[in-house]
Amino acid sequence: MAELTDIPSDFIRAELDEFVEREDERAELIDFYAAVAPHLLEISASIISGRNHDADRLTLEALAGGTPALEVMDGGLIAGMALVGIKFRENFIFVPEVLACARAMKAGMVHIDPILSASGIEPLARVIMGTVKGDLHDIGKNLCIMLLRGAGFEVIDLGVDISADDFIGAVEEHSASLVGMSALLTTTMPNMGHTIEAFIDADLRDDVKIMVGGAPVTPEFAEEMGADAYGDNAVECVEVAKRLAGVGR
Amino acid sequence: MTSRGRVMAALAGSAVDRTPVCNPTSVATVELMDLVDANFPDANRDGEKMARLAATSYTELGFDSVMPVFTIIQESSALGCEIQWEAKDNWPTVRMARPIWQTAEDVRMPSDFLLHPDITCVLDAIRRLRREFGDEVAIIGKTMGPWTLGYHVFGVEPFLLMSIDDPGHTKLCLERMKEITIAFGQAQIDAGADALTVPDHATGDLVSGEYYREFLRDLHTELVDEIPIPLILHICGRTVDRMDYIAETGLAAFHYDSKNDPAESMAIVTDRIALIGNINNPQTLFARGPEDVAGEVIRNLEAGVPLVGPECAIPLQTAIENLKEIPLAVQRWHADQARKGPVRADDQ
Repeated sequence: MAELTDIPSDFIRAELDEFVEREDERAELIDFYAAVAPHLLEISASIISGRNHDADRLTLEALAGGTPALEVMDGGLIAGMALVGIKFRENFIFVPEVLACARAMKAGMVHIDPILSASGIEPLARVIMGTVKGDLHDIGKNLCIMLLRGAGFEVIDLGVDISADDFIGAVEEHSASLVGMSALLTTTMPNMGHTIEAFIDADLRDDVKIMVGGAPVTPEFAEEMGADAYGDNAVECVEVAKRLAGVGR
Repeated sequence: MTSRGRVMAALAGSAVDRTPVCNPTSVATVELMDLVDANFPDANRDGEKMARLAATSYTELGFDSVMPVFTIIQESSALGCEIQWEAKDNWPTVRMARPIWQTAEDVRMPSDFLLHPDITCVLDAIRRLRREFGDEVAIIGKTMGPWTLGYHVFGVEPFLLMSIDDPGHTKLCLERMKEITIAFGQAQIDAGADALTVPDHATGDLVSGEYYREFLRDLHTELVDEIPIPLILHICGRTVDRMDYIAETGLAAFHYDSKNDPAESMAIVTDRIALIGNINNPQTLFARGPEDVAGEVIRNLEAGVPLVGPECAIPLQTAIENLKEIPLAVQRWHADQARKGPVRADDQ
């Protein structure tokens, strides 16, 4: 088991010390970061600080220096977002800060994505995300998408006001194994149930796992509608997606 | 005491004969629309239907206030945002993915802003309600705060990113948008509003309590200085971490969400601001029955919350029975208290 002092980055050590309180999580992260090269931890630090120009530059430098794209993504970008997710879950940071971190992540991923696609490396899983019909709110869904991408999922964002047919069409087109639906209004959350019914009618329900969330949605309502899982927030969404996809941390 | 007198006294922190019941956001439901033949979306755009639907809060439900502005998008429509007006059974929403402004230079109130049909219908509704009810019931108007206007006109994500990239520029935008809040508020006062709700969604679900202090506390104080009737701030979600700042503004009331414990909230704000709320919408009013509604009413009354009502605009499919239970539970509780008599110091 590694020690905090084994992590070759002052910044990451300080972040872990200040913001990660759960003992099991802390031990797991110390083990993880201690095994990451210093130049990749610099990328992580740029993500955690929301410095998108640095994330862009450092990612390019790491790739130019010969570090494989997958290693840059896992050890630099995703490693950074892991800490961002924890800080957000514990209310150390809020949505504006997460948006800045996600923008930095995106600045790095722009260079990684084409390399991974060309080499045929598969994501953890492919997820279709959208806000249901009649609902134009998307900040919650977008946060989920940022953290899902930050955790290594491929996400197809359908946007807002999405009909059951559009969800079904996207699953078929992208061969996705997960669907995430969001609703902010009590008037639109029943459309989650209608969409699940449409998957049953299209004989596709067994091919996908469906997760739901949004301010008025409760675990009971999710179960009643026939969803496979409910997430209370964006961090939980990632945990739920990993569980449904059968993948680890 | 009339309903109006009761609400205005509670907003002023004065004595009342019983706790007033009000919802300063919206109590429109599909059942109420059917009852008076005033349906969404027309009731959001036609002053006569708007007034007819708003009146049901007093005439059918027994609340002490009426609130004719059911949406949070009237100003945004007048400013030029694209609106999805929806149908009878859904709320209209701004298409925030298509923002109309990018910088403070863009922030401009059109010269004919107060003449826009989605503004004049509100003013017409308030005038009608005042003519119909006189001093009987409190007429509460609504003018959006600059933070929420920011979501609508800049888009939620660009606006929040702006706040972190350039706080000074964000404050300039807020300062300029404040003029829109004041103009619409003043027009509603001229039309006859007794008090104004100012929804300004700096919620704990999006931003920190320190954000409220940095961007909004002083600005809300300025609104109090510039708008000469009681102002009711509405923020959804978790707000306990900013209630102390909110209580410093001089606002008359804060309409708070069920995610905040009534007793804990009262302990923070004390008598510096009147709390209004906080009966849960999706789980209680929408999905449960009168007994659970009464339970939440009593929780607020026992905590000393001075005005009781739903936490936010109620779900459109909420049963009337559940809404009627709120004033009934308030009356029963006060009757019980009267029967018990005053509590003596040596009983405590």
